[in-house]
Amino acid sequence: MAAAQEERTARAVTRMAAGPAGRALSRKPARLLGRVVAIVIILLWSLFPLYWALNTSLTTLSGADSIPAHYFPSPLVSTSYRAVFGIGGAGNGISGEFGRSLLNSVIESGVAMIVTVVIAVLAAYAFARLQFRFKRTIFVSVLATLLLPAYATLIPLYRIMASLSLVNTYLAVVLVYVSGFLPLAIWILYNYFNTIPPELEEAAFVDGATPMKALLRVVIPVAMPGIAAAAIISFLLGWAQFLFPLILTTNLATQPVTVIVAALNQQRIVPFTLLMACGVIAAAVPGVLALALNRYLIQGITAGSVK
Amino acid sequence: MSAARRGRVLPYLLLSPLVVFIGALSFVPTADTAVEAFFRVMPLDPPNRFIGLGNFRALFANPTITISWVNTAAYVVIGVTASVVLGTAIAVALKQRFRLRGVVLALVILPWALPAVVEAVIWSWIYNPTVGVMNSALHSAHVIGGYHVWLGLDRWLTILLIEIVQIWQITPLSAIIILAALQSIPLDLYEAARVDGAGPVQAFLRISLPMIRPALAVCTVEALVLSLNIFDQVYILNGIAPLGSSVMLQTYVTTFENLNFGGGYALSLLVTLATAVLSLAALALIYRRPEAA
Amino acid sequence: MKNLGSVSRWAGALVLSAGLAALTAACSSTSSGSSAASTSAGTSSSSITVAVAYPSPPKALLAQFTQQTGIKVTWVNIGWDDLQTKIAAAAAANTYFADAADVDWSKVGEYQKTGWFYPLNTYFNVASLKSDMPQLNTFVSDNELMGMPFDSSFLVTTVNTKDFAKAGITTMPTTLAGFTAALKKVGTANGMASPLDIHFATAEGLSTCWYQMTAAFGGQVLTAQDAPAFTSPSSPGYQAMAWMINAYKSGLVPKAAINESDYQGFTTEMARNRVAAEMCDYSGSVASIYNVPSTSSVVNDTEYIPTPGATGVGQNVANPDGIGIPKTAKNVAGAVKFITWFTNTENQATWAGLKGANNVVSTFPLPARLSSFTLMGNIAQAGQLSSILQAHAQAPFPNGAPPWYVQFSASVQTNIHEAAAGQETVQQAVNAIAAQVNQLKSSG
Repeated sequence: MAAAQEERTARAVTRMAAGPAGRALSRKPARLLGRVVAIVIILLWSLFPLYWALNTSLTTLSGADSIPAHYFPSPLVSTSYRAVFGIGGAGNGISGEFGRSLLNSVIESGVAMIVTVVIAVLAAYAFARLQFRFKRTIFVSVLATLLLPAYATLIPLYRIMASLSLVNTYLAVVLVYVSGFLPLAIWILYNYFNTIPPELEEAAFVDGATPMKALLRVVIPVAMPGIAAAAIISFLLGWAQFLFPLILTTNLATQPVTVIVAALNQQRIVPFTLLMACGVIAAAVPGVLALALNRYLIQGITAGSVK
Repeated sequence: MSAARRGRVLPYLLLSPLVVFIGALSFVPTADTAVEAFFRVMPLDPPNRFIGLGNFRALFANPTITISWVNTAAYVVIGVTASVVLGTAIAVALKQRFRLRGVVLALVILPWALPAVVEAVIWSWIYNPTVGVMNSALHSAHVIGGYHVWLGLDRWLTILLIEIVQIWQITPLSAIIILAALQSIPLDLYEAARVDGAGPVQAFLRISLPMIRPALAVCTVEALVLSLNIFDQVYILNGIAPLGSSVMLQTYVTTFENLNFGGGYALSLLVTLATAVLSLAALALIYRRPEAA
Repeated sequence: MKNLGSVSRWAGALVLSAGLAALTAACSSTSSGSSAASTSAGTSSSSITVAVAYPSPPKALLAQFTQQTGIKVTWVNIGWDDLQTKIAAAAAANTYFADAADVDWSKVGEYQKTGWFYPLNTYFNVASLKSDMPQLNTFVSDNELMGMPFDSSFLVTTVNTKDFAKAGITTMPTTLAGFTAALKKVGTANGMASPLDIHFATAEGLSTCWYQMTAAFGGQVLTAQDAPAFTSPSSPGYQAMAWMINAYKSGLVPKAAINESDYQGFTTEMARNRVAAEMCDYSGSVASIYNVPSTSSVVNDTEYIPTPGATGVGQNVANPDGIGIPKTAKNVAGAVKFITWFTNTENQATWAGLKGANNVVSTFPLPARLSSFTLMGNIAQAGQLSSILQAHAQAPFPNGAPPWYVQFSASVQTNIHEAAAGQETVQQAVNAIAAQVNQLKSSG
């Protein structure tokens, strides 16, 4: 509730700020043209490689490796996608591999997202609302790990998992992901909780609720946008992981789609068309999510950076 | 338990999962890296033994490792500069609200949201020396005489092209952060400047730039960490060849292909220290709270 | 808050014990055994995982195996270089990886020394199999059979006869000089600026290509004592390297080849008719790559030829693939059954084309058994290949692959690649590789 109000205020401010000066500027035709050109260039830069992958995946090998290149698929076929999904029995035998790796990615990113968000909500609430000894120390230590390259822990984590015989298990992958995503998720949620007025919880306390009940019944529903931000970012980070699963997973039982696409790139006889089809599918999942939830994504990215 | 007692217990209960995770899977491994960097750890040659600076000496006697440090420095300089500058440019271009701006923003973020490995595979196809579209486009535009081999021959060209792939991915991050910062600058500052006769460039340099310094600092540090640790793009576009190798790639090769864990620890420790030092330096130099007007 | 309360002590104890547990786990060099692992690929006795750098056999035939034995097969196909890293890492971490895994000819010495794979002598009788499997010896180290060969892969020269005919060449040259001259004519006649492909990517294929070119020059790269045999400029190894580098620099080989791995070269250059010849092709490419209509433009136009050598027809280096059982396997009995099935006479012929294109294993070169050749007649040019195999096949090293083969090959790939890319001279490359060999020999 308070968050929505905040948003309305923010929008109003921006509208006002666009003000006469802003509107006047945008009326000048040269400026307008300049801005349109800039935006077209920005969009071309951002989207061309993705378009190119799609273009290559929708044609035959002869169409794809022509000199000069064809900017539209010609001929337009769906053989590569049918091969990836094993439709019609085609495909170098990769359909089983690729499908399984998609499932692995979903499980690993999804479970890591849920666990991360749950732990982060509890921790961020404690940091934002409660007073206790060592609060500052723990908070700063957790955030300091944001500066640590994840790779500082690469080898020890591998050896820990190896000695616990957890290599090539979902558990190992999820544990490693969660430990890596927690600092950022906590940072996002901490900032978000700080924008929620304490009056809400105080009202609940007056009604006799315990802090936990207040958290669950009052704060969390209001904080859903922030939770969504932390969740979507954790999921995307998980889906994009490559080096950690490269060493923690050894076969299709747990290898995510990033590892499989890299392997296909190296493999015997995977034509570019098929490789690009796999790439498109591997990118489609995070891509669609990012587009649909882009507002929360942006909120998450900007959380605390404008402080 | 009394309510007061519960109150004192609660924060630690809420924090315990976090502390266990970060403690066991972040701090302990980092400490482990710091310690074992001074040991000889090789699964094919047990037992582990203390060798002081031996790993570090071996690393710096290895020309491939030295090359990878220089390459990584290049990746950082190019990556940070380009992504922050481009990000700022994009943010300025998108600062004014217009009708489809939400859609444009969503599309701009897309490269950031996708896996780096998949992007690298797509770009390797774009860079393909025999039939890639970059060759085709440049040739059709008469910029080059014939199709070129882009990767693997010239060291600096290879580094530049690999870094472009990373820049493509991380620029949206800077763009979003700086855009948010730009939007929080009160517009009457711009009004005052306009009244004083300042043009848009002046307004940007005198007003926007100083006010977004904190955001610039954050973007710089984020780009720094990502480019210092570049791996996925190098692995796909350069393989394990020394030419365009990065420190992270060498860490992987040393540890998992040569099975020299001690060397890997030593490299990891050095990268961690470099990241910490450079990040703090960047923050100290760039971050400055804007003075109250 | 003055009083810490017991809870914060619990929290502290929790972190400490978690930390200690992790630290102990990290520092311990013994594994807790494979029983605790829970993978979602079958651990029951009715399934196995096979990890090889090959596409899988047709699903219908694998299903037949499952029907006959009750064992379900999960096939894992990983690129060769990645696969070797994974095998080493899994073995070093004592983790389950697969029940049957790739044993490359180059790894036999290493696996015998490290003990990562079971010796197979109790399951397969070396003495009785030797006559039917000419490559079996490659997989025996110190009398232990470390893997069963499942193909007769060797390096061979392939040409596009149609392109050559266009230049008026119908009899293939048998010397390198003659071959180079012919290639230039073929290039002109077909509009190819660079008519020969050699793959120079920093990968294992480059090392094997050097061994093959050395065989064309009449020698091997190591002596019987595993010492460098290529340091003198008149040695076959040195000359071979110089020839390869010169072919690249002079433009006989396309510039793009600098980053192309073996299969990337075959599929992008030769199969799309951008070059007219391959000097380090693998036996089997014609059937499995060049004659596949959906991805090749040279169907029925390619042929294997005897290696053009320095002074006449040269040798062909054999690089057979094998399959063995890692010590961390869970279903050893199932793996033995699978290996027996995969390497029997009829199936070996099937993978190579006996039962038609629908039943081949993609890129499969040649059967490992001579009896399979008899079954095949001349399908997939088996007759031609078997005569090359029997007359000219040569092991890459006189003493088998040394235990330090991995580091040796890494040095070879890197230095030859750098020499081709112009970052060092042939002499510098030769010196670097020789220095590495001597260092590896002395450190055991």
